[in-house]
Formats: sequence, C-alpha cells, structure tokens
Amino acid sequence: MRPTMVTSAASQDIPLDSLQGMIQMRQVIKTFKNAAGEFRVLKGLNLSIKGGEFVAIVGKSGSGKSTLLNMITGIDFPTSGQVIVNGVDIHKMNESQRALWRGRNLGIVFQFFQLLPMLSLLENVMLPMDYVEMYDFDQRPKRAMELLKIVGLEKQANKLPVAVSTGQQQSAAIARALATDPPIIVADEPTGNLDSRSASYIIDLFDQLVHQGKTIAMVTHDPSLTERTSRTIVISDGELIDETLAHALPLLKHHQMLEATRLLEHLSFQPNTNIIHKDTHVDYFYMITSGEVEVVLCGKKKRDVSVARLSAGQFFGEVELLRGGKSIACVRAAPEGPVELVALPRQQFISLLGESPLTADTIAYLVQQRIEENRSADRRSRRWFGKEVDSE
Amino acid sequence: MMRPRWRKIFHDLIDNKMRTLLVVFSIAVGVFSIGVIAGTYVIISNDMSASYAANQPMNVELRTGSFDSTLVDTLQNLRTVQAAEGRRVFNLRVRIPGNKLWTTFDLVAIQDYSNIEINLLRPLQGSSIPASKQVLLEKKALENLNVPIGSELEFQLANGTLKKMTVAGIVQDQTSGAGDFLAPPLAFISMDTLKYLAQPESFNRMYVILAQNGDDPSYLNELAANLKDKVEKNNVVVYRTRTARSDRHPMASIVEAVIGILGAMGVLILFLSSSLIANTLSALLNQHKRHIGVMKLVGGSQGQVFGMYIVLILAFGLIALLLAVPLGGQGAYALSAFIADKLNFNLTGYRIVPFALLIQVVIGLAVPLLVGLLPVLNGSRVTVQRALSNDLTQDTGTKREVSPRPESAFEKFRQRLMAGLARRGIHLPRPLLISLRNTFRRKGRLALTLFTLTMGGAIFIAVFNVQFSLNQYIEQIGKYFIADVTLDFDTPYRLKDVELAGLRVPGVQAVEGWAYASAEVFNNDHTAAGNVTILAPPVESRLVEPILVSGRWLQPGDERAIAVSESILGLFPDLKPGDNLHLKINGKEADWIVVGLFQFVNQEGTIAYGTYEYISRLTHMANRSFSFRVVTTDHSPEYQQAISEELDAYYRSQGFHLREARTGLSTLKTASESLNILVIFLLIMAVLTALVGSMGLAGSMSMNVLERTREIGIMRSIGAGNRAITSMVIVEGVLIGSISWLIGVLVSFPITYMLSSIISVAIFQSPIPVHFTFEGFGMWLLLVLALSVVASLLPARNAARLTIREVLAYE
Repeated sequence: MRPTMVTSAASQDIPLDSLQGMIQMRQVIKTFKNAAGEFRVLKGLNLSIKGGEFVAIVGKSGSGKSTLLNMITGIDFPTSGQVIVNGVDIHKMNESQRALWRGRNLGIVFQFFQLLPMLSLLENVMLPMDYVEMYDFDQRPKRAMELLKIVGLEKQANKLPVAVSTGQQQSAAIARALATDPPIIVADEPTGNLDSRSASYIIDLFDQLVHQGKTIAMVTHDPSLTERTSRTIVISDGELIDETLAHALPLLKHHQMLEATRLLEHLSFQPNTNIIHKDTHVDYFYMITSGEVEVVLCGKKKRDVSVARLSAGQFFGEVELLRGGKSIACVRAAPEGPVELVALPRQQFISLLGESPLTADTIAYLVQQRIEENRSADRRSRRWFGKEVDSE
Repeated sequence: MMRPRWRKIFHDLIDNKMRTLLVVFSIAVGVFSIGVIAGTYVIISNDMSASYAANQPMNVELRTGSFDSTLVDTLQNLRTVQAAEGRRVFNLRVRIPGNKLWTTFDLVAIQDYSNIEINLLRPLQGSSIPASKQVLLEKKALENLNVPIGSELEFQLANGTLKKMTVAGIVQDQTSGAGDFLAPPLAFISMDTLKYLAQPESFNRMYVILAQNGDDPSYLNELAANLKDKVEKNNVVVYRTRTARSDRHPMASIVEAVIGILGAMGVLILFLSSSLIANTLSALLNQHKRHIGVMKLVGGSQGQVFGMYIVLILAFGLIALLLAVPLGGQGAYALSAFIADKLNFNLTGYRIVPFALLIQVVIGLAVPLLVGLLPVLNGSRVTVQRALSNDLTQDTGTKREVSPRPESAFEKFRQRLMAGLARRGIHLPRPLLISLRNTFRRKGRLALTLFTLTMGGAIFIAVFNVQFSLNQYIEQIGKYFIADVTLDFDTPYRLKDVELAGLRVPGVQAVEGWAYASAEVFNNDHTAAGNVTILAPPVESRLVEPILVSGRWLQPGDERAIAVSESILGLFPDLKPGDNLHLKINGKEADWIVVGLFQFVNQEGTIAYGTYEYISRLTHMANRSFSFRVVTTDHSPEYQQAISEELDAYYRSQGFHLREARTGLSTLKTASESLNILVIFLLIMAVLTALVGSMGLAGSMSMNVLERTREIGIMRSIGAGNRAITSMVIVEGVLIGSISWLIGVLVSFPITYMLSSIISVAIFQSPIPVHFTFEGFGMWLLLVLALSVVASLLPARNAARLTIREVLAYE
C-alpha cells in the first residue's frame, strides 16, 4: 500500500520557512577548488538548530562536519546559500566585523584548547571581554574568576596554560567560551584529547549550560557523547542524513543512511487518521519524526484495542515487510496531535537489511519481540472479545 | 635533469621570495658596507698621498717679508735643497661686479708658470698661464664664486680702489687647504699683475723641496730652522715656518682615523647583519622541520640534509654577492670621490679593489655559513617523529602535553607580579599584556634584534653627542677669538689712532691692538725643535678666555713668559708650567718661562700667548700694531657683519690702509663647517646602522607573526578584529623599539667617549671634553619609534589579513 498523505519527498526539499531557530543554514553549498578540479564539500545543506538544543554533529573524517562547523562560526564562507546565526547573516560581514560579532555571539571550544600560552588562565578568560568591550574593565577579572570557579579552576587562575593538565586547559577554554555570555557554544571535538573522567566532566558542564538556555553544537566522534545530546546530526559526503532514520537505524553505515535518506518520503497525518489498515499490504518502513501513533487491533463490531503506542524515533511496518502477508493490526495517528513520518520503500528497506547484517539482526529480534507482544495482546483480546477476534 | 633534492633547494630559493629577499638583503647589507669601507680605505690611502706627492708639495714654507729672486737662487744652490721657489701671497676682497657680497681670496703671484717645480698647478679648464690682469681660480674658489671663464671679477685694494681682472682658467692646487682648515681660496696671477694691484713686485713666501729625507719630520724641522736662519741672515724677516712631509697628505691621519671609525662601524653592521641572517635562517629551518622529517623518512641522511641547507645558504650568499659587490665597488668609489673632492685631491680612476673584493667574497659566503651552521645542524638533527608531530615549537598553542610542566622562575615572577597588581585593583588590558609577553617569548631573537637596534641607536646618539662636543669645543676655541671684528692693516698703526677712530663708529665699545711674533723653539742640545706663533694681546685683555690645562694665564708684569698650547707636548712631552723654553724671536735667543698650558685646535701648529706689553717692545712695535680687535655692543652674527662693513668703510675713508675687517664668528663658522663633513660621514653610517636595525626588527616581527598565525586565528575566533590584531603586532614592535632606545641610551655613553676621543685625537691631537645633548637622545627616540611602527606595519598587515580559516584549519 502506498501512503496517501505524502507532504514532501527528499530532505533537501523542506521549505525554508520551516527552518527556524538559533542557527539556520539554507541551501548551503561549499566548493573547494584545487589543481585537481572542483570538489563540493557541502551539497546544499539545510539545517535548523533551535535555541536551547544540545546538538551533536557526527560524521566520518572528510564528511564535511568541520566545514559545516566553520560555516556556523563564520570561519569559512559558503560558495552559495545562507547561514543565519542568532538572526544575523554572518557572511554579509567582513572578517573584522565577523570577528567582533563572533566574540559576542559565539563561544568556540577547540579540540586542542587553543589557550594563548603567554596569558594566565584568568587572562585568557578575560581576553574576549577586552576584544568585544563587554563588561566594565574592573568587572572583567571578577567575571572571569566566577567562570573559572564554575569550571573548578579558581585555584589555578593565575597559572599559565602549560602549568595545568589538559583537562583543566579544556575547562579553561570553556570558561573563555562563556566569557562574553554568548547564546551559542560551538565545540569541535571538545573531549578528543581528554581522558574519560575529564571528558565526562566537560559534558556535565555542557549539560548545565544547556539547562541555562545556551545552544550547543558539538562535533564529536564519541558515540557515548551523542547519547547525552538532545539531537544528533549526521553528515556524510557533504549531505545531512535524516535524523529520524539515523535514530531508528543507528547500526547502518553512514553511506547506507545517506542512500536511504535520499529515498525517504515525508508524510504527515492528522490525529486519528489511519496510516496502515488491517489486512492490507504494507510497502513502507515507517519511522516517526514527531508525534505518536497507536497500534490498534481493530474489531469489526466491538471497540478497537490499542496494543502499543509508538513515539518519535520509533518505527513500524517492519513485521509485515519481513514476514510478508497483510497487516495484522491498524496503525493510526494518535488522537493528541498530528504525526510526522518518514517512509522507506519496501525494496530499499529489504536491500538495506541485506547490506547491513547487524541492522537485519536487530530488526529481526525486534520483529520477534513485537510478534510475541501481539500474540499476548491477541490472547488478552480473545479473553475480552470472544471468538470474533479469534476467528481472524 | 636536476636531482629532486637540488630542485627542492631551488624551489626554496624562488618560492618564498620575501624570505629569500630578507636573507639576501641581510647578507648584502654587511657585504656592501664592508665593500664600501675596505674599497674606500684602499683607494684613499693609495690615491690621497700619491696624488699629493705627484703634485710635488713643498717641504718647507717660510712666510717672510719681501725678497727677490736672488734669495731664491741662494737657497736653490744649497746642497740640501732640491728646489726653491718664491711667490707673493696676499689677500684681497673680491666680488662679482655689481654684487654686494665680498669674499676674501689669497692671491698667489708666480714668476714662471711654465716652469713651476713646487706645489704644481693642474689645469682644469681654460688657460693655465694668466696674462697680465688675468686670474686663474683654484677649483675650491668656485665654491665661493662660481663664475665662468672669461668673466670679470672686482678686487678691492687696501686703499679702497677697485680693480677688475678676467678669469682666464681654472686650476687645481692640491696643497691648498691641505693642513689648514681655515685657509681662504686661492687665485693665481702673474708677477706683472702685482703692480696693477698696488703690490710690491717681490716675493713674501719661500717654498722649498728638500733634496732628501723629505719624509723625516725631525730632519724637516732641522732643515727648516737652517733655512729660516739663512733667510734671516739675508735681512728678510721670517714670520712663520711650516713643514710638511712629501709622501703624506697633511690630512692623511685625519682621513685614516675617520675611515678607521667607518671601518669599525662596517664591522658592526656586519655583526648586525649576521645576527639578522642567524634569525632568518633559524626561522627558515624551523619552518622546514617538517620537510626535513619527510626527507629523513624517505631515506635522507643527516649529512645529506645538512649538505642541502648549506648549499641553500651558499646560494643566498652568492645572490647577495652579485648584488652587493658591484654596488659596494661603486659606493667605495663614490665615497672616495666625495672625500677627494672635500680635501681637494684626485683619484687615479675607478677600479676594482682586489682586497675589497676578496673581503666581500669571504664575508658574503663565510658569515652566513658561520651563523647558519648551528641552526642547520640543529635542523638536520631533528628526529622524524618530532619533525612530523605537531610538537615542533614550544609556544604555538598546539602542544599536546600529557602532564603539565612547572612554570619557569620568570613565569612565576611574572604571574606573582600580575597577581600582586590585580590585588591592588590594577589590571593591564589583555591585548597589551599579549604584546608585552610576546616581546619576551623568543628571547634569543629578541636579544639579536635588540642588539642591532640598540647599536644603531647608540651610534646615532653618540654621533650627535660628538658633533655637539665638537661644536662646544669650537665654541670654546672661539673664546680665543672673542672679538666681534678683527681688523688687519697693511702697515702698523699707533694703538691710540686706531682706537680713537674706531670709537667714533657707533656701537664700538673697545679697540685692542695685538702683537705677533714667530719664534723658533730649540731642544736642550740647541737643535731646532719647531716653531711657535706668539699672539700677544694686552695683558688685561678680556678677549681671550683660555681653556687652561695646567698652570695659569698671563699676568701683568709677566716678561719673557708665555702660555703655550698643548701641542707643544708633541715636541716636549715632559713640559710643565714653570719650565723654561729656549726661544729665538727676531734673531734674539732667550729662555722663556712657560706659565701655563692651554687647549687649542692643533691644526694651526703650536701657538703661544705672551703679553702685548713685552712682545711689542721685543718686535720694536711698542704702541703700534698691524692687527686690532674690536668689541661691539651687540654680538650677534648679523650685527657683527654689519659693523665690520661699517668699520671697513670708515677706516678706509679715514686714510687707513685696511687690508681686511672680518667678523669674529666667520673663523668659527669655517672651522665648524669643516668638522661637519666628518659628522655627515658618521651620521650616514649611523643611519645605515639604524636601518639595518629596523630591518632586523621587521624581519623578527615577520617571523613572529609567521610563528603565531595560529594564535592570531584564536584571537580572531574570540572576537579580535583587524585593529586589535594590527595594534598587537605594532605595540610589540614599538615595545622592542622602546627597550632598544633605553639600552641604546646607556650604551651611547661609552660610544660617545670612544668616538669623540678617536675623532678629536685625529683632528686636534688631544681628546676634547665630551658634552651630551638631548637632541640625539630625543631624535633617536622619535626615529626608533617611527622605525618600529614602519617595521611592524607590514607584518601587522599580513597578520590582520590572515583569515581564521587559514590559521585554524581543522582537517
């Protein structure tokens, strides 16, 4: 069965109006030229990060994640497209204006800390305030000391970077990133050079900052960190992978995700609208982007019985796709609100599982579980509704 | 086909043109300076004396009363004399007809122009033999009166009448001015013209070339005394005797001293340029460590890598030689020509000086090799692991340290200081702190840069101090010439007559008559030691304020007593006040007591002061004099000039045979102008040193910026705009400039003493008191600040132009 309420196809076609937030990228293309020719690193990215989000950006080496970060920080400029950060089209400024703007709006945390070696930790933290002329001159040391206290470095404040551990240097770099109280923190592998204890401390710090309302975009390779972020953006070969797909099928390789992303169909259903009818063929693997769906055993005469409720990040349709046959239950948008879905056609889903045995095993295990759940639900239903259900 | 490793060296040379230029220029500056100085030294020391000797200069000059050719023949026939020649020398005022400005020329009448044997004249333009009422101008005279051949000049005789003569030609007398800063320019006439100029047709100068030993000063003195005797026995008064070696230009010692100083500065510039080379090469090797790592990784041995960079350095040296050798040769010839022109001698022509060439080649190749050896050795020793890791520099901020290192004592002190200041509520702006601390990060580089700038500055300041000291000294010497106007008459006049006439001119306060005598000094064994000119002002005269070295000045009642200039110590090293000198004045020998020794410009020979009261009696000129000093109410040069003209006119109108009325300051002016030539030389070298210094600063700042690109990127990422980055670099440059100024001020003191001593001994034969002037300190401060800003501008601009993407590449 083909879904009837398709609202859009590929992710690249999302209307720009819907891209609202603290960081917005619109059709961003970045092309590098060298002797070998042109090389497109970002292929028309659209991205929106809302205020207060803690976003992890992941991707393999060379996928374009650092270029993406450079676009957000204004370190690099797009070949075409727009980057709007905190309401400002940052590439309309010149380098010097952008530096000043960056000082006020972005706190950057680097992998190698990048503290200035000739300044003490305290002075390093005060420096951005000096550059952008924020806070009274006499207030700056006090504020810098408070920030160092937050990151637990008040006792090391007057030491030079070389005299403290790498974890402490990164903490100081975070304090520096917070110096001008910017709404956005951008971090490039902030824990890449830290031991696990220091890394955990830094992520705790980030958590606190997000709770205080900061927006954090962080490039990382560490899967344990992505678990702690509110959102994960995966980039592969200069394109963003659909976040719902990445969340639903995390064991796929990035290039497989990208292939799948390109084939996804975007669907939207109003509350209580049926997505899958009972006894019909299912041709799609559905993943929930937002909203909830109900899995319902539909009785012909009696009331329907809801056997499961699935929310964003979960998926359905896999049982029918893997086992063949018709659907054994209805799936419909929950009555509380509309639901957004992405749907992968049967053929591509099957071939993906063929390419990714790990994913196939996981899905098979899930199918088994769901069938078990359905059976027990079926038994319950038979006890409640008698032969009618049983006869089906 | 070129091997890959040599191709790499070739690319290292041509790919980074700015760096190659910097290294080549650093080498070339030193090679050029040494080339100029060595070349000049060789050219001048060969040509100056050769050119002088070729001119057949006199060994003995006697300034006498009138004599005729009989006396010349008498001397000519002496066994000890090779050639003798009589001339008449007198001075007249001269001007271009219709022009108001007068200048004074020494007119020299020569008997036979086609047969001159002494002080030869070199024809330059027009005729070389003046006909009657014609005049030949000496080359130097053109500086005062630049007139073409054929034009007329107006001469004023003692009685005020004006006579016109035509300029027939330009000649050069290389002996003119040699040994006498203050001599007026020369003009040559024939004996026939003397009558036209109301001069007696006789000689008053005897020039002699000795038959042998013309280069032996003591023999010269002895023979000069004999000749003087001979002349006096012929009833001719000898006013003054002067001797000169024939193999050596009288100014040779001064010029050699100056070239010596220039040489010292050249060596210094070489030093400075080598520190510049060292700086640039170690930065280059630092940048190339990764290349070295790769070369070693693919099998390059340490020796091969070492060899490659040595070849690179030699290539830098060769390019620098190609630039600096021809320029140095031209520079040497230009400087020699300048000196030759100033001292009125001729060069034998442009030539390549093999000695200078050899020195240049050795320096151009050896110095870079020597200073580059250590960086190259260190660079070639770098391990592959270190070379290919990020851990190349100590302070780029990229260092991955597993464990923190303890802060150095300096860092701890700095942090404690800052914390202490912070406790008192004093916080320096961080951008300023960065500049401050950046300044001290590369201490070796800072030391080299400071050394260059400091030495340049110290020499600059010292040159000003030396010039000031010389001027002060000249001013002091001026205290022997305090009179506002000096009047010289052709015949002696009664003191009262001249005084009464003078006092009638408004503005004249006093008129003093001075006596003169020429004395011969004898050694204890009664051999002639030398000559002394005795000036004799009235004992109460206030027109002499001597700089006494020892003893006292003359007092009323002093008889057979003199105060002598220090140069007498050259003849009698142990002479002290209270000792006697055996003198012969006007044919009368006697012992004279030396009451004191005073300082004076020794170029004019030894002078002594006696009392008018005694000397005038001794010379039979009691109450009379040829020479008078006038004191006026106003001592400004303009007033002196005006009143000297007024006095000139007035005395002539009253029938006095006035030869010349000249202002007191004109002597001083001529003297200081001559010294200024020396100062200009020194200043050129000082500015050159300063330029090398600022080049060093520019190089250092460029290297600093290059090494700190990542830090600049970080600053940009946290909000530093163009202005912040630019000012950070400039402030660092200015800080280095200011530090160099401070040290330069301290170093300038010993350098001032050293320079002043070398120059004053060369000119005055004795050290002069050193004075310091704020002018040099102030000017150098302004200059070094300006140079620092200029030197930092380009690196600062480059720093500001670095985009953050270039410096903070992520992948």
